[in-house]
Amino acid sequence: MRTVGTRPPAAGPVDGDRPKRPNPWRQVTGSLVTAVVVVLCVVTVDAQWARLSEAPGILGDYLRLMTRGVLQNPMADPYTDYWSKAFEYMVESLQMAWIGTLVGAVLSFPAAFLAARNVSPRPVVFVTRQVLNVIRAIPELILAIAIMLPIFGLGPLAGALALGVGSVGTLGKLGSEVIEAVDPRPVEAVAATGARRLHVLAWGVLPQALPEIVALWLYRFEINIRAGAILGAVGAGGIGSILTQLFEARLWDRIGITLFLVIAVTVLVDQLSARVRHRIIAGGGKDPVAGEAEALA
Amino acid sequence: MTATTTVPAPGRAVPPKPRPPWGLYAGLIACAVVTVWAALGIEFTLAPLFSDLTRGREVVAEFFRPDWEFAWRVREQWLETLQLAVVAGSLGCLLALVLAHMASDVTAPPWMARTLKALLAVERSLPDVAWALLAVAVVGNGALAGILALFAFNVGVAAKLTAESVDAVDRGPVEAATAVGASAVQRAVAAVLPQVMPNFLSYSFYVFELNIRASLVIGLVGAGGIGQVIKTELSRFQYSHISAIVAVFVVVVFVLDQASAWLRRRLI
Repeated sequence: MRTVGTRPPAAGPVDGDRPKRPNPWRQVTGSLVTAVVVVLCVVTVDAQWARLSEAPGILGDYLRLMTRGVLQNPMADPYTDYWSKAFEYMVESLQMAWIGTLVGAVLSFPAAFLAARNVSPRPVVFVTRQVLNVIRAIPELILAIAIMLPIFGLGPLAGALALGVGSVGTLGKLGSEVIEAVDPRPVEAVAATGARRLHVLAWGVLPQALPEIVALWLYRFEINIRAGAILGAVGAGGIGSILTQLFEARLWDRIGITLFLVIAVTVLVDQLSARVRHRIIAGGGKDPVAGEAEALA
Repeated sequence: MTATTTVPAPGRAVPPKPRPPWGLYAGLIACAVVTVWAALGIEFTLAPLFSDLTRGREVVAEFFRPDWEFAWRVREQWLETLQLAVVAGSLGCLLALVLAHMASDVTAPPWMARTLKALLAVERSLPDVAWALLAVAVVGNGALAGILALFAFNVGVAAKLTAESVDAVDRGPVEAATAVGASAVQRAVAAVLPQVMPNFLSYSFYVFELNIRASLVIGLVGAGGIGQVIKTELSRFQYSHISAIVAVFVVVVFVLDQASAWLRRRLI
């Protein structure tokens, strides 16, 4: 016990030599400006806030109607049809997302290499990145309206291609970041054997980058399932087309069934895809991040 | 010299070839099957690209004659889009910050964290357009529906991302706060919040950016903002109006994207 009392003062800053408090003015002004902007927007926006008071009651009614639709015996006559119809459109959404992701993957694969600083010369990297940035800024909806629907006509094909081209921007950008992060030593080793440039990419870069790139594809597939939903509203197929029709007709029991199916399928696919992603990236080993996928299991 | 090169050192034989990765092959075959099935399902073909490219010529040609004056004429809708994004984003992120703390093992009991994470996963599985349709049905066309739809959409995204940051905080300060007898709220404010703040702010910018993009979608079903203009012009086949709006929109998103990437780099 005595040792505690007699211990010499720790080396380092002495009393009165404490670090100064950081200057807070930047944080204060930042928060103030944000607060002012938010308040200004809340006040000036042309929203009928009064309707908010009735909203919970109306929402409650609708939710009751929707749950009633879901809880009806799905084997009974009209409901079997409702479920199978909703399922059909959801499957179409999945198909659109899958093909869209694949098209995006194929198109973005070379783009990712062209946009990686450790692979391509500077001017090429710069140009590719700007092109990818522009593609990323164009929403799938616009691609569908402006390009795919006029050329391919109404239907899921136009939607899938819109999703595909829309995916190129993100996939290319994230893919190039993966490629830039590879360990340079294997690349150097392959180059040292006198391999040609393409061989260096194929045997030095690709084996390191591929697992994460494939994981990106899967991630994009999850996103495309959601992003494809709006395309139905303009006639490009998928769950969105039936959803907008049902909402227009206010068929709440069918809306309930459809939304229920959307949630179930999306959660299922997300979990499956998250598992596969973790397996691909972490190999067979236990991955700490996999906890998120297990939270629901 | 010759002896060393011809006689292989004992124990340094060529390593055995790895087992063929059957799991990988099975996965690849499964992917191929799914691809064929999906391609058949949506009747995949690129033929129109070569034969029917001219079919969309009129529409595409209209797109190359943007009516810039129109993009300025709808300035109030542009402003509304920004307002929606700010209001829904800020309110959504504030709620998300609280929810994130309740959805992480670090700051909440495990049962609560688990349930909340599951609920958030369900909440996130609904696409933005479904929220917008629902909001329009409940409060009618207009900006309020847009705010509600974006709000619901934002809470899910921001809460998930922030909860993952909370999960990853350094446990040291948390333990220290517990050791001096801090309550759950005090612990969150003093030990967790300072650690997740930079990430949270960067997610907030990301959410704001998402909102601008999503404003097209939610407007298309009648929930206010610039998307509603597109909906009207689409039904009137005024493609030159749409193209002007789209061009401005792409520039705005592009600039926001760059600005928020810059801000996020500075924050983290």
